[in-house]
Amino acid sequence: MFEVRFHGRGGQGAVMAAQTLAEAAVIEGNYAVAFPFFGAERRGAPVLAFTRIDSKKIYSKTQIYSPDCVVVLDDSLLDTIDVVAGLKPGGSVVINSRDKPEDIDLGISVKTAVVDATSVALEILKAPITNTAILGAFARATGIIKLESLEEAIKRRFGEKLGEKIAERNSLAARTAYGKTVIGTSKGIKKLEPKKQWLPTYQELPAGGSLIEGKTDAGLIGPGSFIENKVSGWATFRPLRDREKCTMCLLCWFYCPEGTIVRISDRGDLMTNYDYCKGCGVCANECPVDAIKMVRARV
Amino acid sequence: MKKVITGDHAVALGAKLCRVDVVPAYPITPQTLIIEHIADFVNDGEMDAKFLTMESEHSVMSAAAAASAAGARVFTATSSQGLAFMYEMLYATAPLRLPIVMVNANRTLGGPPGIWCEHNDSMGVRDSGWLQVYVEDNQEALDMVIQSFRIAEDKRVLLPVMPCLDGFVLTHTVEPVDVPQQEDVDSFLPAFAPDIMLDPARPAMMGIFMPAEYIMELRRQTMGAVESAKKVIREINDEFARVFGRNYGGMIDTYMMEDAEVALVTMGTVTSTSREVVEELRKAGKKVGLVKLRFFRPFPSEDLRKALSGVSAVGVFDRSISYHGGGPAFNEIQSALYGMTVPVINHLAGIGGRDVTREQIIKMFEITIKAGNGEKVNPINWHNTRGETV
Ligand code: SF4
Ligand code: SF4
Repeated sequence: MFEVRFHGRGGQGAVMAAQTLAEAAVIEGNYAVAFPFFGAERRGAPVLAFTRIDSKKIYSKTQIYSPDCVVVLDDSLLDTIDVVAGLKPGGSVVINSRDKPEDIDLGISVKTAVVDATSVALEILKAPITNTAILGAFARATGIIKLESLEEAIKRRFGEKLGEKIAERNSLAARTAYGKTVIGTSKGIKKLEPKKQWLPTYQELPAGGSLIEGKTDAGLIGPGSFIENKVSGWATFRPLRDREKCTMCLLCWFYCPEGTIVRISDRGDLMTNYDYCKGCGVCANECPVDAIKMVRARV
Repeated sequence: MKKVITGDHAVALGAKLCRVDVVPAYPITPQTLIIEHIADFVNDGEMDAKFLTMESEHSVMSAAAAASAAGARVFTATSSQGLAFMYEMLYATAPLRLPIVMVNANRTLGGPPGIWCEHNDSMGVRDSGWLQVYVEDNQEALDMVIQSFRIAEDKRVLLPVMPCLDGFVLTHTVEPVDVPQQEDVDSFLPAFAPDIMLDPARPAMMGIFMPAEYIMELRRQTMGAVESAKKVIREINDEFARVFGRNYGGMIDTYMMEDAEVALVTMGTVTSTSREVVEELRKAGKKVGLVKLRFFRPFPSEDLRKALSGVSAVGVFDRSISYHGGGPAFNEIQSALYGMTVPVINHLAGIGGRDVTREQIIKMFEITIKAGNGEKVNPINWHNTRGETV
């Protein structure tokens, strides 16, 4: 059995990647399953997806805790998530990154394949949806599936939903990434502290789970605790507002799902607190006078 | 033809293959994909059904009842709060003997609000008169939609059927599914032809007011229909196996029970993982077996007594709590085994969508084996629950 864990962010297509990989494995005559681990769905939030591949029927319906390969669709996740947690000895990592494998510190020294899937996706798909490109890198790095099977799987899954043209472009993204993949070994220096989480026993949990403001070893809980959940790291793009063009209609302020556009009433102006801007682009989309431009946040 | 699809997609294909006439629908996570796929089929002309978008789940079941009473084959799907919102109409449809099939994607019934798998939604309506079957993979989900219509529409039964599949664990998981041929389903499932229906040419009264002089008889009659479903379920299981080559065992399925000394009874997807655990424990020399509780209504008391007659201890997995102390399956199995001396141990796990790992299942077996050896163990065990020791 070969087990893969995908790390991505909502909207990048990690689930579709896991499913397409399963389809490719089935095309090659294997059995495969793929499934997401769902948090509450939010564009930009970290998501997990899994694929299991075997030559015989797979019965296990649990999540994957010791993968043979980890695929990271967004290298900003490396700062906050220990992506190699549970990785099997001899396992490998595939990362969407502009860095060389040798320059990436995963905390352990493992076989690491990199490709700049975001640039490939932006160029070919005109959107930062990196799932098909990263699968090209996966095929190259692991040899678990052939590139042809992957392209056939993309044709089936994307073609059925989104039409032949989009399927072809995704196929091209996979092929391009396959060609550009660089394989090496990661650095193993940093120590990633496992993220602290407040985990009360049933006796400690306040009745009904109702919380007032509180502080625990793992951070704040209750009202106001979300102040600790900075989402700036999620952003591929960030909004830039042109004050000259802006008519102060407040549509962006109203629509921002993170509530991070703040009215400065005495100046009749707006301010975006980038700590809580996930770069979704909703504000730019809603602005009736095109006063907001989304610019690349990370290079 | 094998397709790599989600449980929800498999269910939608099942409904399409059954040539349902009416689908009243209201989307709810994690059932949404079922409704979306059916909407696509109808929109693309692949499915000749009336697709009704309703304003609530209560209306969905009302529309389902009306359409079924008018002689239509009706399919719908729901989950959790949606099922709870239908509560009144569930109790209306079963005694009216309307053979509706509704898939429930098992999801925690809040509060607290949550979206992941728990069985407390469907367990809460176990006494509505609906038949319930719990499946372990996407193939079984599709196959049971087909079988459910046969069971529901059988003149000896005429009751609505609710196939239940674990939310996300199946609804959003893709795996290879063998999609039956339309011709085969057509000959397995003939058109729905009720004796009495709402037809202006042959007027009928349905859902009439009943005083005390009649209700005892009506309840007794419904109980009889649930009871006779047992035979029908077995017959249809065997016929399905002959035609499609997949035998689900009827009301229960057993795995490595022939010489088992200790058994675990499971429902839903935990069954699937448990099969691997049983194999592993067998390799380590432990004589363990598995009983998959498929139908919860009718409750397979006789089948369970037979399957569990030779074991020294029975573990029962529950994915929801009945506030008398243990889970609903535990209650029912204790009462089904009444008079047998075998210890019955409850294992609560996976509630609210917590992953049920192999390690947890191994632990369930270990505790049950101890009980079989005459050691004292807790009768009710909350696995992987902070503040509890198992
Ligand atoms: S400020 Fe704009 S880009 Fe940032 S979170 Fe709000 S809507 Fe999205
Ligand atoms: S939507 Fe555009 S015009 Fe309106 S307040 Fe925001 S930036 Fe200004």
